Amino acid sequence: MTAPARTKWRRGSTGSLRVLCVVLLVALLAQSYLVDLFDVAALRTGSTVFVAVVVQALPFLVLGVLLSGAIMAFLPAERLRRLLPRHPGLAIPVAGLAGAALPGCECASVPVARRLMQNQVAPAVALAFLLASPAINPVVLVTAVAFPGRPEMVLARFGGSLTTAVVTGWLWQRFGRVEWIAERALSRLSGPVGGSRWRVFTETARHDLVEAGGFLVIGGLASAVLNVVVPQTWLGTLGGNLALGVLVMAVLAVVLALCSEADAFVAASLSAIPLVPRLVFLVVGPAVDLKLIALQAGTFGRQFALRFAPLTFLVAIGCAVAVGLPLLGSGR
Amino acid sequence: MKRETQNVLLLLVGGALIKIVLDAGYLRYVRPVMAPWLLAAGTVIVALAVIAIVRDIRDARPIPAGQSGSSPGPACADEHHHAPRSPWLLLVPVLAIFLIAPPALGSDAVNRAGNRTVAAPGPDTTRRVPFPPLPPGEVVPMRFTDLITRAGWDSAGTLDNRTIQVTGFIVRNKAGAPFLARIVINCCAADAFPLHARLAGDNLDHYRDDQWLTVTGTVAPNTANEGNRYTPTLIVHGARPIAAPQDTYEY
Repeated sequence: MTAPARTKWRRGSTGSLRVLCVVLLVALLAQSYLVDLFDVAALRTGSTVFVAVVVQALPFLVLGVLLSGAIMAFLPAERLRRLLPRHPGLAIPVAGLAGAALPGCECASVPVARRLMQNQVAPAVALAFLLASPAINPVVLVTAVAFPGRPEMVLARFGGSLTTAVVTGWLWQRFGRVEWIAERALSRLSGPVGGSRWRVFTETARHDLVEAGGFLVIGGLASAVLNVVVPQTWLGTLGGNLALGVLVMAVLAVVLALCSEADAFVAASLSAIPLVPRLVFLVVGPAVDLKLIALQAGTFGRQFALRFAPLTFLVAIGCAVAVGLPLLGSGR
Repeated sequence: MKRETQNVLLLLVGGALIKIVLDAGYLRYVRPVMAPWLLAAGTVIVALAVIAIVRDIRDARPIPAGQSGSSPGPACADEHHHAPRSPWLLLVPVLAIFLIAPPALGSDAVNRAGNRTVAAPGPDTTRRVPFPPLPPGEVVPMRFTDLITRAGWDSAGTLDNRTIQVTGFIVRNKAGAPFLARIVINCCAADAFPLHARLAGDNLDHYRDDQWLTVTGTVAPNTANEGNRYTPTLIVHGARPIAAPQDTYEY
């Protein structure tokens, strides 16, 4: 780096550091005012939900960025390519099944999928992995014990989520375009990657954490607001109407942005609603929710999220109904 | 946002996670089993920031003669093209945790929750099943979850004529009728869901909403059904106000 470039860099960095210090100072001085401000019941509930979503998701995000760092540092593109079938049509289901090996919430899979793409895995294949891993790993599947006496719920969840991942992957393979994915997501970390694997590992992990963390906060804020604003009472008016139930539960899965390890318990407690809409809730939730849309928009760009989220939403509803109706029937 | 600021932010985020584990504040947001994970995540975040800071300091040193030029680090070169602003948002949870420290969910969350009910213990959601008898004793302490499940689904009548003891907080519905409530979480406070029992037989008007009570009483038989979302009526024999427990949720 040349001398003038370094001075410029230094000055810029003091700028944002100074802003940070001022923000922290103002916040400290205004603390009692802030606390009073948050003494409204709805705001208090909302802020608790927000902090809860972020705190719950951060360990999984950290796991994800450590994995993404490890992929960049220790898993060369050639070896990854040898692991997957050459034909993408075949590689998509394989990647989907491989998702079972990453036991975590959905936040972990976004940075991992991005680094897979960078390591020259076809986007559709990486996306199939992205959709499958939060839904079909064993940790999530065993939560179906929330439905006692309905072991077929485990099978239905596994089937619905895996087909969602594979079908979306195939559709993306057929119709998706590379230019929809932001350039920064696909370009390798530029600059002279001087040095050891350790350096690549820590720098990649740090970089992904900083970037994805901000978007996780957006998702947490959105779901906290909706959690408080959307009256959950409208669930009661659904009764046994199957089609309406499917639609409302799908929207609810997106809006509530629950962690995939918790949604089975929530679905189980909505006992007035038939089983198929509740399965839709379990299949849609890990594939597309507010938290994930924010993370994906941040990682792969807005152009991508605008197309991928609705696509996944529709495919997930379709797959869940197609798998659920023969397995679970239309009762509750 | 530049690299140094990002590192400071990461230190704050990691520090916030470690702090809420050490002062047990995390129990307001997630389950107790999350403690080691939060601690590990906080430590990794702090470590990543410290490693980057140390690396930057080392790279910024004058280059000794004979060595190749120092690299600004791969992530840094990336940021010269577009400094992302999204990391600023990481400040929001940090400020929320350190300054506001949102409390555990209480009566407001109970009134907001809609038509969720306790999951039926069997595949048939309409049929009751016999439960094992309660342990002997004049007063039987119970978890709130057990109280609601037995009141709603027990065909053996194990709660009849037994004095039980449960702990929860006061909530009033729109009509002002008092309920004792407890919140159950499965993963984090976002999936919280309330259990409640209607309180009858004692004057509880002097207790405000969110006041924690240990209540002894008997469950009026057949008061919990699908129509009232399995809310039993608890005939209060005695109520003792207590301080809110450290861990307010049931799991």
